[in-house]
Amino acid sequence: MRRSLIHFWRIHLAVSLGVAVATAVLTGALLVGNSVRGSLRELTVDRLGRIDYALVSERFFPIALATDRLPESGKGFPSYFDEPVPAILLSGTAIAANTNARASRIQIHGIDERFAALWNEPGDSNPLGSSLGERETGVGTRPTSTPSLVINTALQRELNAEIGDPILISLEKQSDIHREFLLGSRDRSDVVQTLRLTLTKVVESYGIGRFGLQARQSLPLNAYISLPVLQNALGQGEKINAIFVASRDGKVGKSEDVETLQNALKGAVRLEDLDLTLREGEDYISLESTRFLLQPSIVEAAKRVATEQGLQLLTVMTYLANDIAANGRSTPYSTITAVDVGVDGDSLKLIDGSSPSSLADDEILLNQWTAEDLGVMVGDWVDLSYFVVTPREKYVTQRARFRLAGVVALEGLAADPTLTPKFPGVHDAGDMAEWNAPFPIKLNRIRSKDEAYWDKYGATPKAFVSASTGQRLWRSRFGELTAVRIRTTQEDKGDFEQALLAEIDPAQVGFVWNPVKAHGLKAASGATDFSMLFVGFSMFLIVSAALLVGLLFRLGIEQRAGEIGILLAIGYTVAAVRRRFIKEGLLLAGVGGIIGLGGAMIYAWLMMVGLRTWWVAAVGTAMLKLHISFLSLVFGYFISIAIVLFSIGWTVRQLGKMPIRSLLAGVTDEKTASRSRRLISTQIVAFVSVGLACALIVFGLVSGTGASAGLFFGCGAFLLISGLAFFSVWLRKDLSHREKDFSPTKDFRPTSLWRMGARNSTRRPNRSMLCVALVGSASFVILAMGAFYTKTEYGKPLQKASATGGFALVAESDIPIHHDLNSEAGQFELGLDETVGDAKITPFRLLPGEDASCLNLYRPEKPRILGVTRHFIERGGFDFKAQSGTAENPWQLLEQELEPGVIPAIGDYNSTQWILHLELGEDLIIGDIKLRLVGLLRDSIFRSELLISESNFTKHFPDQSGYQYFLIESPPAQADVLKGVLEEGLDDYGFDVTSTIEKLANYQAVQNTYLSTFQTLGGLGLLLGTLGLAILLLRNVIERSRELATLRAFGFRRMTLVMMLLAENGFLLVIGMLVGSVSALIAVGPHIISPDTTVPWLSLLMTLILVFLVGIVASVVSVFFALRTPLLPALKAE
Amino acid sequence: MSLKVKNVHKNFGSVSGKGFPSNIEVLRDVSFEMAQGQSLAITGPSGSGKSTLLHLIGTLDFPSSGQIKINEIDPFGIPEPQLARFRNRVIGFIFQDHHLLPHYSALENVLMPTMAFKDRESRKGFPANRRALDLLERVGLSDRLSHRPAELSGGERQRVAVARALINQPSLLLCDEPTGNLDRATAEAVASLLLELHQSEQNILIVVTHSLELAGRFGRRFELEGGTCAEV
Repeated sequence: MRRSLIHFWRIHLAVSLGVAVATAVLTGALLVGNSVRGSLRELTVDRLGRIDYALVSERFFPIALATDRLPESGKGFPSYFDEPVPAILLSGTAIAANTNARASRIQIHGIDERFAALWNEPGDSNPLGSSLGERETGVGTRPTSTPSLVINTALQRELNAEIGDPILISLEKQSDIHREFLLGSRDRSDVVQTLRLTLTKVVESYGIGRFGLQARQSLPLNAYISLPVLQNALGQGEKINAIFVASRDGKVGKSEDVETLQNALKGAVRLEDLDLTLREGEDYISLESTRFLLQPSIVEAAKRVATEQGLQLLTVMTYLANDIAANGRSTPYSTITAVDVGVDGDSLKLIDGSSPSSLADDEILLNQWTAEDLGVMVGDWVDLSYFVVTPREKYVTQRARFRLAGVVALEGLAADPTLTPKFPGVHDAGDMAEWNAPFPIKLNRIRSKDEAYWDKYGATPKAFVSASTGQRLWRSRFGELTAVRIRTTQEDKGDFEQALLAEIDPAQVGFVWNPVKAHGLKAASGATDFSMLFVGFSMFLIVSAALLVGLLFRLGIEQRAGEIGILLAIGYTVAAVRRRFIKEGLLLAGVGGIIGLGGAMIYAWLMMVGLRTWWVAAVGTAMLKLHISFLSLVFGYFISIAIVLFSIGWTVRQLGKMPIRSLLAGVTDEKTASRSRRLISTQIVAFVSVGLACALIVFGLVSGTGASAGLFFGCGAFLLISGLAFFSVWLRKDLSHREKDFSPTKDFRPTSLWRMGARNSTRRPNRSMLCVALVGSASFVILAMGAFYTKTEYGKPLQKASATGGFALVAESDIPIHHDLNSEAGQFELGLDETVGDAKITPFRLLPGEDASCLNLYRPEKPRILGVTRHFIERGGFDFKAQSGTAENPWQLLEQELEPGVIPAIGDYNSTQWILHLELGEDLIIGDIKLRLVGLLRDSIFRSELLISESNFTKHFPDQSGYQYFLIESPPAQADVLKGVLEEGLDDYGFDVTSTIEKLANYQAVQNTYLSTFQTLGGLGLLLGTLGLAILLLRNVIERSRELATLRAFGFRRMTLVMMLLAENGFLLVIGMLVGSVSALIAVGPHIISPDTTVPWLSLLMTLILVFLVGIVASVVSVFFALRTPLLPALKAE
Repeated sequence: MSLKVKNVHKNFGSVSGKGFPSNIEVLRDVSFEMAQGQSLAITGPSGSGKSTLLHLIGTLDFPSSGQIKINEIDPFGIPEPQLARFRNRVIGFIFQDHHLLPHYSALENVLMPTMAFKDRESRKGFPANRRALDLLERVGLSDRLSHRPAELSGGERQRVAVARALINQPSLLLCDEPTGNLDRATAEAVASLLLELHQSEQNILIVVTHSLELAGRFGRRFELEGGTCAEV
């Protein structure tokens, strides 16, 4: 074997290099996946420092929970964790005061040195230095007049700010009471808070400068403010909203740690952490919330404890009535309490001294003052009117009618002003006229007697209804009770509190430890498996290399056909000869594979360079680095060798079927019976493929899924196979005239060089077939992929049933907006100087989460969710790819009732399919709810989020308030002006407006970049294919040198022969391109005819011409080398 | 039609066993003339320069010195494209190995030389087709028109090569060992065919052969030895 390896070293070297290419490409693709995953892991560790677990709450809670109670011994806090680190995490908008440069969606961190230490190795200095209190001047530091601000370089670039510049940070004011509750404040001045700070330091955007809890590869815009400064500014005293925990040993992923931390938290939590108070009365304790309403889970816990301890419990719901009216009189602005008078009946006394019996749903008790004010008698009708806040933030007056069941004396419970929870601005007002209430008050209705009542009794309720009636009328998503009173002694208060805390699950009130590092590292496996993606991208390259290896090996064996013949003739078995060649192949593949591993690293490195530079739009980060996995090297090596050996084995097997006589004569393509059988089977493949292609089209048309891309792609692929099979049959067909009548009046000659070329291509059908298959597949790949290369068309009319839904603009705000942007009143409340004209603004609720689009490399676990209003559902629009039903307006599917805990959701097909890996009808589980996909949008602007109905949104995410996502219908001409009006008018809300076309273009840029990557690698495959083509042509021409010399002897000019050979190669190229192109055009048919599509025909045509030219150049080179041989030696050549 | 070969020398450069360049003189001062209708057999031992002389006459190679004139034309003074046309119209070749195109039928192979130049006039009424059919009939292959070379016997292939050589009615027909690969009977048949066609076409026929028996059937015979030529 050594001798044969040396003797045929040229061809063996070529085979080994071919194997090296295949190995390099396949293993390189696997290394690309390793590198992307490795880089994302590095980014995760970089952005989280030593943080392993984070607790981020919607509500602020005392810092003592983090610093004192949690790490206190005996609470179960693991000793292998460092002391918990307190912080405040918020989002907002930054504006450079000098230049008005604005950056929205910035992350604001209230931190101290404990947080900075999470990025320190022992002995390191604080990366933020002392700059959170002082200004860096370059010559030392001096105190600043305004609080200091540190930002990262990413934010600095956005703001174009320098050290010492004043920066305005706008963020949402904290409010105990939910803004969508009756007593919630929604005015701009109550919602938006702006801090003026001085920029004292800029940190690099890595390490602490890259900190962020969300898994994303793009750089966050971070601002750091001293924790006490931010606490003061927010009016939160000693409160925080986040705790971070880092393990000492740096080990992550202990699944039991979350449970341990959660238990430790349960042991450490106090009522004040949960915004709860246990107020002591004479013979009761009252559980109340600073949020006005008690959260239902808290109420349930209290009820359970009371039941366990055998304590009597009274539920209280106090609400505000705008009017209590009867007999044509009315009492304005009164509180009404819903209690079960039967339970605590002895606390309410009627004016006759008796206790009232239980109230029916339509019965009411008035206190003596009110009854006299209205002049009512028992049995009279009493009308109540009160406000409710609708989802669109409007106060709607509701009415209820009751029959007066009794008049209660103003004593005992009836005279208890604490039945009404304290409400700042109302409770502490000296006069009713001084109420600072968020709801509209007609001050002229307040009478002096009302003021007198207020002076004497304060917020004491004037009426009582049953608990069930109160809950029916005034229940909201925030709760249905304002207090739970437990009849007990003061001595028992401590027991009750302990039992209650033990009963409350902190997770139910939003105190959940999140294993952020473990999740981040898990998410680093990526939404897209880049290994498989690049294996897919490189598949054509890999197949080309494998075919090339097979081809080269075959050429080598053909050279040695005589040797094989002799070996068989002298008694070697076919199996022995095969083994001999397979061994050679194995050795060549082994050596080539090792060379290829080096190439794989270079390939992966180049791809990383590509992803960091040319294709950076696809990955959105320049932080990707090469990571080499030994496992991938081994795997890639063996898979490549297996592919190549299969190719070699196939070649050897084919040759083993040749008669010895033919092999001895050096003939390797004699017709055999098996070839005839193969011809028949090729014909069958050709017809079956056409049949399948037609069947797919018919199925598409009949089933109504005619526009299904998958269907057409399958159809195109079948047509490609069929076209190649038909050509294979043609190549093997005898094209000579078979007519019995050889009339002299007929011309039997190939009448042109082109025809001669076509005929000549049948000489070596296998080789010609290989050329056509390579060119055809390359054309198919390039055209099919290229057709999806989307060019954004600006200024095109916006269609309702399209990717934009007919909306011209899309906006997001950092701070939720509660007012109706379409109404003049809403615009006035928001302080918009100019109106929005003819524009229609559709708001969406937004649950912040991870970007579910292709812009995010990490695999999102909790994607952003939008709450869709009823108005939007009724409007409809957008282009649906699929829906679970046949609704004319698929948006209505969002309102259907599914099983408990399952919410219908709509998402963009691209995101659900490729990023979330979900199909229609499948569920995404977030916590204890399931989002079931009932509709999939086609190429829409909703690629970063999932959409659910507003009613489901508010039901399942009650703490989220207001609207933060907006779609705007506007005449295109006014869109730019409107953008300016909204962004300037709502700048402190962080209102950011983008054109929907621009947003689509951003997504399309990623898609285009992936396509470009695919095409580049496809192009490399084509290059390799062309190399194979050139080798084939050269071999063909060399083999035919005597024939060509004979033709020259008969007077054929050298140029004529050149043209004939080029015609032959051109014929193969054209056939390959035709088969590939026609199949590809059918495959992408639905995409081409889609109204939103602009196929880049010109660039595709240019690409095909390039493919043709590359092929022709390869031909010219091979023909040039072949025809250099002088005539006589060629004629004599053996 | 005439052929004049005058003082033709042919040298081939080579490298000696010691690595020094040397010059081998294959033909030395060869001169002869032939007129239309004449036939000539060139014999001699292997390496005597028989095929070299034939290739020089056929313009496939250049003489080192001397002159060859065909119809009083010096073909070596003609540029390559015109020389190709000259060869196509004036000279016909038959090689020891038929050199047929394997993927074309017998008829198509015969017609192949007519396709070297686009000559619309000659195609009018397809005279070449008629002649090809006629030639194949004359060589006894009218029932093998559509057969490919692989489907023909050695003698049949050589007869196709004869028909191909005559398709353009060449004035000069050059045959290099035309029967060298054939058995005796077939060789005899092919030789008879050549002479018969020569008689009817009245061209100049030159055959290089080892067979003295075959050579004896031609009008003239030259013996080449040591590069010099002597008419026997």
